[in-house]
Amino acid sequence: MPHRCIQIEQLKKRYPNATRDSLQDINLAIHTGDKYGIFGPNGAGKTTLISILCGIIKATEGEVRYLKDQTKVDFPAIQPHIGFVPQEYALYQELSPVQNLRYFGALYNLSKATLDQRIPELLSTLGLAHVAQHKVSTFSGGMKRRVNLAIGIIHRPTILFLDEPTVGVDVQSKVAILKFLNELNAAGTTIVYTSHHLSEAQEFCNRIALIDQGKIIMEGDLTQLLAQHEADNLKDLFIQFTGEAYRD
Amino acid sequence: MMFKLWTATKKEFQLLLHDKAGLIVMFGMPLLLIYVITIVQDAAFRIVNENKISLLVVNRDQGNQGEQLVKLLEESGLFQLGQDAQVTDLNQAMQEQDYLTGLTIEADFSAKLRQKNQQIIDQMLAEAGLGEPLTNAPSIALSELDFYHDPTLQENYTTSILNMIDAFLKTVEGELLINTLAAELELTNSPEQLKQAMLDSRVPIRRKVVSSSNQERLPNSTQHNVPAWTIFAMFFMVVSLGTNLVRERTSGSFVRLKTMPTSFLLVIGSKMLLYTGAAVLQVALIFTMAKLTFPALGLPALTMPSNWLGFGLMTLLSGFAAVSYAMLIGTLARSQEQAHGFGSISIVLLAAIGGIWVPSFVLPDWLQTLSLLSPLNWCLRGFYVLFLKGGAWAALQPIILGILVFITSCLSIAVWQLRREQLI
Repeated sequence: MPHRCIQIEQLKKRYPNATRDSLQDINLAIHTGDKYGIFGPNGAGKTTLISILCGIIKATEGEVRYLKDQTKVDFPAIQPHIGFVPQEYALYQELSPVQNLRYFGALYNLSKATLDQRIPELLSTLGLAHVAQHKVSTFSGGMKRRVNLAIGIIHRPTILFLDEPTVGVDVQSKVAILKFLNELNAAGTTIVYTSHHLSEAQEFCNRIALIDQGKIIMEGDLTQLLAQHEADNLKDLFIQFTGEAYRD
Repeated sequence: MMFKLWTATKKEFQLLLHDKAGLIVMFGMPLLLIYVITIVQDAAFRIVNENKISLLVVNRDQGNQGEQLVKLLEESGLFQLGQDAQVTDLNQAMQEQDYLTGLTIEADFSAKLRQKNQQIIDQMLAEAGLGEPLTNAPSIALSELDFYHDPTLQENYTTSILNMIDAFLKTVEGELLINTLAAELELTNSPEQLKQAMLDSRVPIRRKVVSSSNQERLPNSTQHNVPAWTIFAMFFMVVSLGTNLVRERTSGSFVRLKTMPTSFLLVIGSKMLLYTGAAVLQVALIFTMAKLTFPALGLPALTMPSNWLGFGLMTLLSGFAAVSYAMLIGTLARSQEQAHGFGSISIVLLAAIGGIWVPSFVLPDWLQTLSLLSPLNWCLRGFYVLFLKGGAWAALQPIILGILVFITSCLSIAVWQLRREQLI
């Protein structure tokens, strides 16, 4: 039985000057080795939740507990073991993948020797070895996504947060990214992930949380949820609970 | 920690190397400005002092005093003198012959001057009881000189020339007065002695440059332009660093940094380190080029200050002030275009009121007060103390304090803004 690695209790977030909460009374647990999907319509609060979990923004109320061997650890202690892949290309497009990885790797406290070893390995695994010294600005969307991913995992995190990691990429890149994420998960990395591609998410995730208007409306094992609600797939389940009306 | 700082600084260096436009603005533009502006200012200075101003004199005077005035103008060496008594329309002649200034001496110039002098002497002798008292002496109007000048000649040059002519006229009048008085008193040898005595009795004026030490340096276009435009170039790094910061803020790089086990200060520190280094390099490059090439171009040589420690400190502080301003703009601007546009325009304005283009003492009072808000003004004052006023620490202290206040203010606002955006 896997242990919980993140426990969220009564989490609430209201942005300054906002008229309503972006997150309300969020309670959920993420276990070691999970491929945890967070889904919801636009503006549901997915990015807010993932931003709180990564330490980018602070919750208004409630608590996020990080657990290591069932013992609570402070965020600064867990921070070196967290990886984050944002939706934007949060990298330097004027620089090469090697230069980007060297910079971000150093900020993750990796030594020069470790970087010298890991960067070529990682670029080779993600199919970027041949463009290792080229400017990222000359890359396709899929290649940029892979560099973005490489930066988030250069330090081999135990928990990896991904915000829409496959948005705007071709099928080949999407397949390569998901294959790599599965390999990472098999090697012990817990993955927390948001996506709009529900069929892709259904294939990838073992547990999900469905958020709408800042509240969790469903959470648990994906297979059990589909069976419980007699849905053929995640898309049907999504529509069943969030409706077909447009969202802003 | 050192490896982190080294890698972060190296990343900034790599980004700067890719910013070709930024590099040109930081290193190419100031070199070009310093050469062009120094050459232009020096040429303007030489118009008056070396090249001489062209003066066409139409001397129609029938006596000696007109000729004497022309001789004095010629002997002054300040004019490239041309004479043509036949000219009837000086305005037209100047345009045809390309003269900048012109002077007409009318036919009755000497006669009227003599009459006036005679009247003055008669009055003096009568007052002294040596002559007949004057009753109802008619008022004598002196013959007027007409001075023409090209409309493009600057007002200060024109005024200087008028003052010179006026001074020469005084000499002519004084000499005539002595000669007339000597004739009335039937003195035979004394006129020459009197004239000499009068010339010798002029109070000499020694020119002194304000300095806090004994080392005096005459201000010239080089001593002003080299530090002034170097400071301008330092602050223009706002284009490169400011846009670089906006790009990082908007691309999500800063957000990513928040998830990393690293201090944001290290990232900011690496930027400040690199760009302060770039500012020092600007000073080294521009001053070296000026020192080595200006004399060969016929420009005044750059004289370096004796207070090298003060020079080093002022360079570092100026660079740091420029970096702080760029950080401020980079954190407040919402887009790269805003940082670029506002950053460069604000530097041009701060340079204008800060005395970079023209010395701030020529500005109106309210603008002089406003110039205290310009960091470029504080930096320039510091370099003036070093380059023109001996570089005494006592004179540098308030300037250093002013720059430190500016740096602290900029960085405080930048940090406040980054906190407000939850980036740190």
